[in-house]
Amino acid sequence: MSDTANTGDGIATRGSRMNARSFIRRVVYPVAVIVAIAGVIWWIENRNNDSVAPSGSEYGARQIDPKLVPDGLEVGTEEGQVAPDFELESLDGGESWLTDFRGHPVVLNFWATWCQPCRQEMPQLVNAYDRYKADGLVVIGLNLQEGKDLITPFATDYGIGYPVLIDRDGDTSDEYHLLGLPTTYFIDANGVIQSVYRGPLQDKQQDTNVQGAIGETDLQQGIDKIMAVPAASGASGGS
Amino acid sequence: MEANPSSAGPTSKALRSQSWSRTLNLVNPLRAVWWLFTNVRFAILLLALLAAISLVGVLVPQMPVTVRGDQGLEQNWLDTQHGRFGFLTSPMHDAGLFEVFQQRWFGLLLAATVVSSGAYVISRFPGIWASISRPRKRVPDRYFEMAPARYQADEALNVERLEGVLRARRYKVYRTDEAGATYLFADRFQLAQLGTLLTHIAVIVFILSAVVQRVDAYDSPLFLAEGSTLPVFAVSNPNQMQVTLDNAYAKFAPDGQPLDYRADLIIYDRGTEVKRCSSTVNTPCTYNGYHFYQEAYFGYGATLSVRDTSTGNIVYRETLALADKSPSPRVKVTGDDGSVLLEGAVVLPESVNTGDAAYRAGIAHLPGDRTLTFWQPDNASDSDKLVVFEPGSGDAARATLSAGQTVQSGGLTISYEGLEDVPSIVDDAVPLPASAGGGTGSALFELSNVAFGTARTSAGDYSDEGAATGDPTLTIVGLQPQATTLKPGEATTIDGLEYKFERQAEFAGIDVRRDRSDSLVWIGAFAIVVGLAITFWVPRRRLWAKITSARTALAGQSPSHANYSRELRDMARAAGANIPEEVDDDE
Repeated sequence: MSDTANTGDGIATRGSRMNARSFIRRVVYPVAVIVAIAGVIWWIENRNNDSVAPSGSEYGARQIDPKLVPDGLEVGTEEGQVAPDFELESLDGGESWLTDFRGHPVVLNFWATWCQPCRQEMPQLVNAYDRYKADGLVVIGLNLQEGKDLITPFATDYGIGYPVLIDRDGDTSDEYHLLGLPTTYFIDANGVIQSVYRGPLQDKQQDTNVQGAIGETDLQQGIDKIMAVPAASGASGGS
Repeated sequence: MEANPSSAGPTSKALRSQSWSRTLNLVNPLRAVWWLFTNVRFAILLLALLAAISLVGVLVPQMPVTVRGDQGLEQNWLDTQHGRFGFLTSPMHDAGLFEVFQQRWFGLLLAATVVSSGAYVISRFPGIWASISRPRKRVPDRYFEMAPARYQADEALNVERLEGVLRARRYKVYRTDEAGATYLFADRFQLAQLGTLLTHIAVIVFILSAVVQRVDAYDSPLFLAEGSTLPVFAVSNPNQMQVTLDNAYAKFAPDGQPLDYRADLIIYDRGTEVKRCSSTVNTPCTYNGYHFYQEAYFGYGATLSVRDTSTGNIVYRETLALADKSPSPRVKVTGDDGSVLLEGAVVLPESVNTGDAAYRAGIAHLPGDRTLTFWQPDNASDSDKLVVFEPGSGDAARATLSAGQTVQSGGLTISYEGLEDVPSIVDDAVPLPASAGGGTGSALFELSNVAFGTARTSAGDYSDEGAATGDPTLTIVGLQPQATTLKPGEATTIDGLEYKFERQAEFAGIDVRRDRSDSLVWIGAFAIVVGLAITFWVPRRRLWAKITSARTALAGQSPSHANYSRELRDMARAAGANIPEEVDDDE
């Protein structure tokens, strides 16, 4: 190969040039091709991103205002932690942050129209909201990545009167480490997660289980827990 | 192997220099690696290893995808292999022989083969291209003595005539006259040298396609009811799509074999409708690299909605897949005037004990306010009997029939054709009326006289085809003491809950696949076919000639399978050389 024949002065210079050329051919070109391919893939993955808030930033998880984090608590998705904040578009065309509802107990329900257990538990949520909204309870239906074409008729049929927010790109669901649908967070007036329910909220079953027949439903237990926590002074909507 | 004319006559100094350079190269680790990957023997070793391991992967059963990752399932699967492999099962599992293609070392071997092939292409291409674009037009005299194909004669060939012969054989000819000698260089199909590179590139592309498939391929089966929507990805994905089954069609042969499936789909990309298309088994609907194949059809679905009449809200809406079967008597009832009053399977949802015997019983309302009840003994010995009893007196119809029997009673002609399997299912999450316990609970659903899903009722759009024998009938057991029977569009209200049988619906099994290696496989297949065709069929030739007034020397290169020495003699003969025709042996 030419770059090994560097036995004379002139040839040595030529050999150096060949090394540079060889480097370009063997390293720079392949790297350029890989970067180009990665760029195309990135473009394909990220084009048509219409999940953008009026502020210009994409809808999704938001850094929570430190003033809204009670002393000694951390932001997270486990019980006893402060629920992560988000900014999402709502079904009625507006947008909401979770911290807008600070001061109210919140039932945050992740759902989708295609999710059969979500459909199953939906009447319970509708009834609970109708029953407790006068007492300050907020129910948020956080739809996972569907369009208004699908959500609106569903919400109408099921009589959903509470806010429905749309997590179009799944960013907020990822922030909440969502493993499946439905998942329901019971968040007290101070933004602290009191309980998390993964799976459908069980209604009273028509069976021979006496405890099941006389006991409270999962939803009622969760609501009781967050309604029992008073709002700390100064707790109010953020953002 | 062809002798390289450029290697003819290196000086001893140059040889020492090359040797020293090679030593330096091997000391430099990067160059040593480069040398290894450009080494043909190493490449052959890699390919042989790949072939051997792939053979093992084919001959040894591989752990199914559905089992992998679950320790319990894996152990159960391994237990089933003990019968075949005995005490070797555990060591084979430890060595990864049941998951050959998932092993890291297999991936590394593939990567090494790609690198080796790539290195081969990169290292050989400059030389080959130089050979094509700047061929060596003169060779040392010694080459005429050692070339793999050569011809020498103590006579001078007519140079112009030889040039003519070469051009007639599609050679490009270059001529140099110098110091009493004429040198010719003739080249034919010089680009064919790229055939080998093309074949190597094909190997790279094939392996890359396997890697792409391994890393990037996606496959998700969906089972959709008409009007329902499912996401392509299980939970959350930045490129989430949903697919709605707008309509499903199927056609069946008289023997019940499916003839054709089709599904009309609506595809949503992150909530926005982006495509409407039809999908079949062989012609998938495609969007954004994802192919939506129809792989299954199921015709026995019933869409039921339950509305709370106090609020007007829907509290339940599901399309139930009635995948179980309930044997039910199929009857035909005609009136005096021959009009068909009832034809189809009669569901017997109730259990009635008369004291003498236990029966499964059902009811059917005929046009003209007549009602028939049907009873079937709930014991094995009489289960082929059907009792027809019309409440009332006088001319009421009363009959006991066996399968295949027809009787006349009460002005009706009643035929019992035999038992028919009626699609059924139990759903555990149905809102129940307060009188049935309230909350949610179980109810039995049976769908008789189905419109879709059988050869008898054919397929297609319900409004076009319809049921051959009237509307489907949904019988619900568990809402109230009596069974509830609904036709499509009918509703009944029980304790403030309105139960509505919206329609019989069909299901389609849609398999969503993405395999971006498809195009790579096609490119690789094209490259290897073209590369091999060029290598084996394009008659590439290269010839050098030195002609003096007293001597002619020809030397040439060709693929090893060609008898180029004979071609050289033929060309020399055609140019006027005195060579007997019968001489045809190789030198």
